[in-house]
Amino acid sequence: MIRLERFSFTYPGEDQPALSDLSFEVPAGQFYGLVGPNGAGKSTLCYALAGMIPHYFKGTLSGSLTVAEIDIAQSSLGELAGTIGLVFQNPFNQISGSRFSVRGEVALGLENLGVPRDQITDQVDETLEQSGLADLGERSPFALSGGQQQRLAIASILVMQPAVLILDEPTSQLDPVGTSEVYALLHQLVGQHETTVLIAEHKLERLAEFTDNVLVLNQGRLLANGPPKTVLTDPLIEEIGVQPTRYTQAARQARARGLILKKDEFPLTLQDAQEFFDDAAV
Amino acid sequence: MSTPTLYLPRDSRLHHLHPLTKLALIGLAIVAGATLPVTLWVIAVYLLILMPLAAWGKVLPAFLRSSLLLIWPFALSLTLIQGFFAPGEHILLQLGPLSLKLEGIQLAADYTARILVWLSAVILLMLITRPDQLMLALTERGLPRQIGYIILTALQIIPRFQQRAETILDSQRARGLETEGNLVKRLRALVPLVAPLILSSILELDERAIALEARGFTRAGPRTSLTTLKDTAPQSAFRWLSLIVMLLLILARAAGWMTA
Repeated sequence: MIRLERFSFTYPGEDQPALSDLSFEVPAGQFYGLVGPNGAGKSTLCYALAGMIPHYFKGTLSGSLTVAEIDIAQSSLGELAGTIGLVFQNPFNQISGSRFSVRGEVALGLENLGVPRDQITDQVDETLEQSGLADLGERSPFALSGGQQQRLAIASILVMQPAVLILDEPTSQLDPVGTSEVYALLHQLVGQHETTVLIAEHKLERLAEFTDNVLVLNQGRLLANGPPKTVLTDPLIEEIGVQPTRYTQAARQARARGLILKKDEFPLTLQDAQEFFDDAAV
Repeated sequence: MSTPTLYLPRDSRLHHLHPLTKLALIGLAIVAGATLPVTLWVIAVYLLILMPLAAWGKVLPAFLRSSLLLIWPFALSLTLIQGFFAPGEHILLQLGPLSLKLEGIQLAADYTARILVWLSAVILLMLITRPDQLMLALTERGLPRQIGYIILTALQIIPRFQQRAETILDSQRARGLETEGNLVKRLRALVPLVAPLILSSILELDERAIALEARGFTRAGPRTSLTTLKDTAPQSAFRWLSLIVMLLLILARAAGWMTA
């Protein structure tokens, strides 16, 4: 569904490429995580996958990038809207400001795509239901909590039924409750609609819980690509400045202090950790 | 947090009219306010057209409150300026070198009545019309979507900027910025307040633009709308008639057919 071949991108006036020689594939219907320290190129990669690079942010690019069989560089943002969805950090900046109700806000994308009115009504109702916003349909988008606003931002993209959904740290400004709401929605989405999802995220525990695969980016290069259990417990990620989950850290310290562990792999989530320490012997 | 719109949702026949029909009604009142030659006729537009319309739309109290709140500064300043400085013969009150004249008061009353009609007509339109529906009606008739977007967004985003300005003000105060005191101190305090506000807003522009692009805002081709505006043949006929009456009023005034 997403395919990069030796893809590189350099912002104008920069010597170093922001993305360098990236090659990977994301199969349809998979939930992928993207981790890396600040400045690793995560946002740039998200912008490239959504076509904002090169159509909104200019620069020099090489290699190829296709999403949903579309060659991004040869397409236009108008054509990509509806096929590739993009959600980013600040929910406030994603609200159009031109609609006075949550319903109206969700409908905006479909209106721009020229979808017939009856179909808009059906899709908006379904999406509001799915996003848990059905009771807030007539509320002003600005009268919602942060978590609700981010769900609205996601709903406004989901309603267009994109084949691919790119999320750039969508929970970084949310509290744990808001974060859980967003992940529950994404999980449901992948299960029901087979949407391909790629999410840049600092909260590794969430990635461990929900993703099929994790990509690690550092200085614009792909360092690792594999299942969360392997990638997120690899000491390599700590070396580049990504903090492992507290369960992984606790298990590492336990081993360092002489706790004999039966399992080779380190735990990522609370549940993993419980099983892990149950099996441990002093 | 509220938006700075005056719109009051009410279940009235007036509310259900097509936004352009409401616009025609209000346009008619504005043109009448500008062209009618006699002050009393202008006042009659307020008392016999706008007020009954507001009552029909079930927004009379809000209408009266807003229009009277807005008009009194005009009434006061016009009475003082025109009363004392407009030329006239009939002196009502002598205050040293200044004299309050009847002609000036009459002129002030005429201007005040006209401004009252204009302001209250616009207030009435805002009370009974949802801004997004008005913009939809206008863009359906050819107003560029970008302009409609800017107007609607301004309505909703300005209060958020105020909120942010307050946050910045609070945080600068916490760092010891003096915002009280004489004019020079206050002006000096403006820079650390305005600079972060403008900079952060500019930085947000890209994100806003990208969010709109991702939802097909600049896509070519036909568009649809979730909201449908109900229009009827009599309403359309009324709008044409209003337009003709407006033109006739303007023509009559310009040609001097209507005199006091």
